[in-house]
Amino acid sequence: MINSFPSVKRRRQTNQAPGPKEEVRANVKNFELQKNDKYYAWLFLGPSFLVLGIFVFYPMLRTLYLSLFLTDSFGRPTVFVGLQNYLNLLTSKVYMASIQATGVYVIGVTAFTIICGLLLAAVANQKIRGIEFFRTIFTATMGVSVSVSAIFWLFMFNPSIGVLNQIALFLHLPTVNWLTNPHWAMVSVITTSVWMHLGFTFLIFFGALQSVPKTLYDAADVSGASSRYQFFHITLPMISPTFFFVAVITMISSFKSFGLIDLMTAGGPTNATNLLVYRIYKDAFVDGNYAVASTESIVLAIIIAIITFIQFKLLAKRVNY
Amino acid sequence: MENTIATQANLHRRVGLVFKYLLLSVLAFIVIFPFILGLWTSFLPTTQIAKGALHGTMSWQNYVDAFTQTPILRYLLNSLVISVVQMFAHLFFASIAAYAFVFLEFKYRDLLFYVVLATMMLPFEAEVIPNFQTARTLHLLNHYAVMIIPFLTSAFGIFMLRQAFKQIPLDLKESADVDGLSHWQFYWKVALPYSRISILTLAAYSFLGSWNQYLWPMLTTFTNRLRPVQDGLRQLHSEETATNWGLIQASAAIVVIPTLIVLFIGQHYFKSGLNEGSVK
Amino acid sequence: MTKLISIFKPHWRWGLGLLALLAIIGGFAYGNQAHAESKRIKVVFWHEMKGPGQKQIDAYVKAFNKKQSKYEVVAEFEGGYNGVIQKIMNTHGTAASPALFQSMDISTSQMYHSGFTTPVQKFVDRDHYDLDQLVPGARAIYSRNGKLLSMPFNSSQTALYYNKAVLKKYGITPPPVDPTYSDITRVAKQIHDKSHGQVKGMTMEAYSWLFEQLVANAGVPLANHNNGHTGDATKVDFTSPAAIKAMQWVKENIDYGDFINFGSGGNASANEAASFLSGHLGIFMQSSAKTGQLYKVLKNNLGVTYFPRPDGKKANGIAVGGASLWISNDKPAAVQNGAWEFSKFLVNAKNQATWQAKTGYLAVNKHAKDEPLLKQLFKKSPVLEVSGNQMLRTTPNDTNSGIFIDGLVPARTSIQNAMQQIFAGQDIYKSLKAAENSYNKVLESNNRANGRG
Repeated sequence: MINSFPSVKRRRQTNQAPGPKEEVRANVKNFELQKNDKYYAWLFLGPSFLVLGIFVFYPMLRTLYLSLFLTDSFGRPTVFVGLQNYLNLLTSKVYMASIQATGVYVIGVTAFTIICGLLLAAVANQKIRGIEFFRTIFTATMGVSVSVSAIFWLFMFNPSIGVLNQIALFLHLPTVNWLTNPHWAMVSVITTSVWMHLGFTFLIFFGALQSVPKTLYDAADVSGASSRYQFFHITLPMISPTFFFVAVITMISSFKSFGLIDLMTAGGPTNATNLLVYRIYKDAFVDGNYAVASTESIVLAIIIAIITFIQFKLLAKRVNY
Repeated sequence: MENTIATQANLHRRVGLVFKYLLLSVLAFIVIFPFILGLWTSFLPTTQIAKGALHGTMSWQNYVDAFTQTPILRYLLNSLVISVVQMFAHLFFASIAAYAFVFLEFKYRDLLFYVVLATMMLPFEAEVIPNFQTARTLHLLNHYAVMIIPFLTSAFGIFMLRQAFKQIPLDLKESADVDGLSHWQFYWKVALPYSRISILTLAAYSFLGSWNQYLWPMLTTFTNRLRPVQDGLRQLHSEETATNWGLIQASAAIVVIPTLIVLFIGQHYFKSGLNEGSVK
Repeated sequence: MTKLISIFKPHWRWGLGLLALLAIIGGFAYGNQAHAESKRIKVVFWHEMKGPGQKQIDAYVKAFNKKQSKYEVVAEFEGGYNGVIQKIMNTHGTAASPALFQSMDISTSQMYHSGFTTPVQKFVDRDHYDLDQLVPGARAIYSRNGKLLSMPFNSSQTALYYNKAVLKKYGITPPPVDPTYSDITRVAKQIHDKSHGQVKGMTMEAYSWLFEQLVANAGVPLANHNNGHTGDATKVDFTSPAAIKAMQWVKENIDYGDFINFGSGGNASANEAASFLSGHLGIFMQSSAKTGQLYKVLKNNLGVTYFPRPDGKKANGIAVGGASLWISNDKPAAVQNGAWEFSKFLVNAKNQATWQAKTGYLAVNKHAKDEPLLKQLFKKSPVLEVSGNQMLRTTPNDTNSGIFIDGLVPARTSIQNAMQQIFAGQDIYKSLKAAENSYNKVLESNNRANGRG
């Protein structure tokens, strides 16, 4: 979610390869300066490439390498097994269940975040007295970190003293084992995650709604179109770039959900919320099975790379929009 | 006749308004309910909460306990130090790299930029195993440094600032060259001030990103002296095994209140930021 | 090169800024180490005790640091037992690693094989420390080939708790102190029937330890080579008749409707205890370490029995669970000596007596029960002595001394999944078999990777 924050503001800007203008500039420069540039380039890019090299490029290769071995108790690769780890993983029912759970979680969080965020934005996008107050409240969850969200909601989901079950009791509804029933546990973590994402999503959608030209609605009013018609035929198409943008951002962010799962369910019950990232952590840093965790890391990286790629494509499109 | 129609329309409008406020209030209540409940229970004695009661003698006791019996202040300090240092370092390293990609002429410039861009596709979460081993080899475990060094730069930051620097009119650079401004001078006196909105945004992004770090500090810190606040809360929650809810809620409130205040004060800034970025 | 320097020249302020930044980062990094510059030898101690256990450990640390001036023990809470094993494996040899750490019963094999620790036996022999003062069952878990690897510390066994007030209210005869499965079923069903479902009969957390001990009490191993005690285990057996029978017992209560499922994990045990204390649940099984907390609320309405055994079978006795203290061998001899001194301090009769009184863990020192504190306590509330008696009467053998296999955490995870599936109504044999197969695979590749088996 945070990942995207600033790029919203940058979206008008172009992302082209260097054009003819730069060449002009190059000609203006004298030879001495150009020679200087090389040293500066080393100086300016050196630190970044050092950090990226050590903490991004190398670990990816190393993870790939580890995924082709069995690792011993110390995490050292000892027996080369080729693609065996991948085969084991992709034929493992438990892992497939994990992928499925991740899918449900990611799609659930994304869909509900968008629906709720859009709803809040639509409701807040009117000119009545005191609307500022409501807008402020709608953005409030932006200030809440993972741990705090998890703690607030853990308390609400508590089976015996939690508010949700107390309300249920009060209304003579059956109580729910929010975090111990596999299906409800998924519902619970999705709810919490949606709540966490809400403030940011609201803000983005609200900005987008505000920028839809008023004249479009005026024209529709004149032709007597209902407000529902206006929403689906004017508003939605106008904000569709934002829509996709939020979708991709929320997807990537929920793919990486870790803290929430760790605090709320620890992957349980019966692996129902054992999402891909949590699984990697558990396999490696609890069970000590670094080879399997590396294999899972590669699978995760591939999935996220695909989504990020789509994000780039969408961003490029937005720019041209 | 016309009068009644007008009254009816007026009535209609009023009912509509009441309905609007009702809807807004209900939604606002739902959004903010977890906060209110958390804050409310943080003032209740734990014995009351454990019974499932939501009333009782309100007191600051849980807060007193949180400040005196838990290292919550230390956690906050740790997070503050780590986030501030990381923010400045990240801004610095990402901006000089972005500067190089925009204002310097050198071989393979675009190729290198695409290499940087490609790293955006590699999630940190998928690389924790070798990164942990690297941190161990470099003797970084259990230091503030381990929570800062891997995030000194980022493809995202470089990408974003490159976009910002590209907005700087070429004439500026040319006249700077004529005036004999060095790259450092141009960077400091022109590039940074010109892109201050992006810099500020990246600063916020970087600070929040660091503040919200969870997995990496959890793997690499082993003492309360160094634990940042997210992992500190995890620690408290685990130590109290969900038995001392009053204390836990108070700790969560202590962590969330500063950020909320900043958020509310920053409303104006956020909004202007939004206007700038709105889709046209 | 001169070129490079000349770039810096006019920008000394920048260079300074950069240096300052690096200095700050570096300063933080090393400032943290410099902290330990007092004259005392610092002994970092990692533990996993929370609640009353943590308070008590902090008290012992304070007392120890006050009592002598050579060492300074620094205690750090490191989360759950499961995570600590890898933390040890991962930090060994770095400045982050502890001098002394607490690690659970089932990690014994892994710690032994890692070669990261100095066997306590070395210090025992050197100091002629009297091992006979320690409970045999507790020593058995942490020994290999008759040598003590680590110092038994917080010991507990699985226990069965019942709420006497509930039983009294509905006129139900309490279970005997050494109950069989059907004794418990009878009581659980009666609670359910006589309260018209208002009070649930029993629960069992989907916690592998409880399952393991039901099987141990039946005298059946869970892994070949006598639970790995007489050779490297290569196969596990979660589907022995004893295992099936144990789960059938739970299933009977589930089907009858007197069983309530709280799931698995830390929240589950907190919730079942809350339910039990508030009188909504009659019976549950959990670590004997819970006794103290439960007694605090229920007083003499707390009932405790030994862990249940299969009908018509004599109890084999169950393993001593909990954890022990390990001394890392990556620290200088002086630090290791400090760790040893502190371990001895923790298990002396007096401290073990307060330990049991304050936390409910069972004293590993035989003489603890002669301490006035425990004597008085047991006289006042005999129920607190039950689990200790269960431990003392047990003669250690290969089936009740834990499982000696590296990397048992995933085994527990898969058993817990099976238990949750069974509690949710799935087939007992199929669920356990799936757990067994999945762990056998892990075991096989582990053995391969480590050149064993």
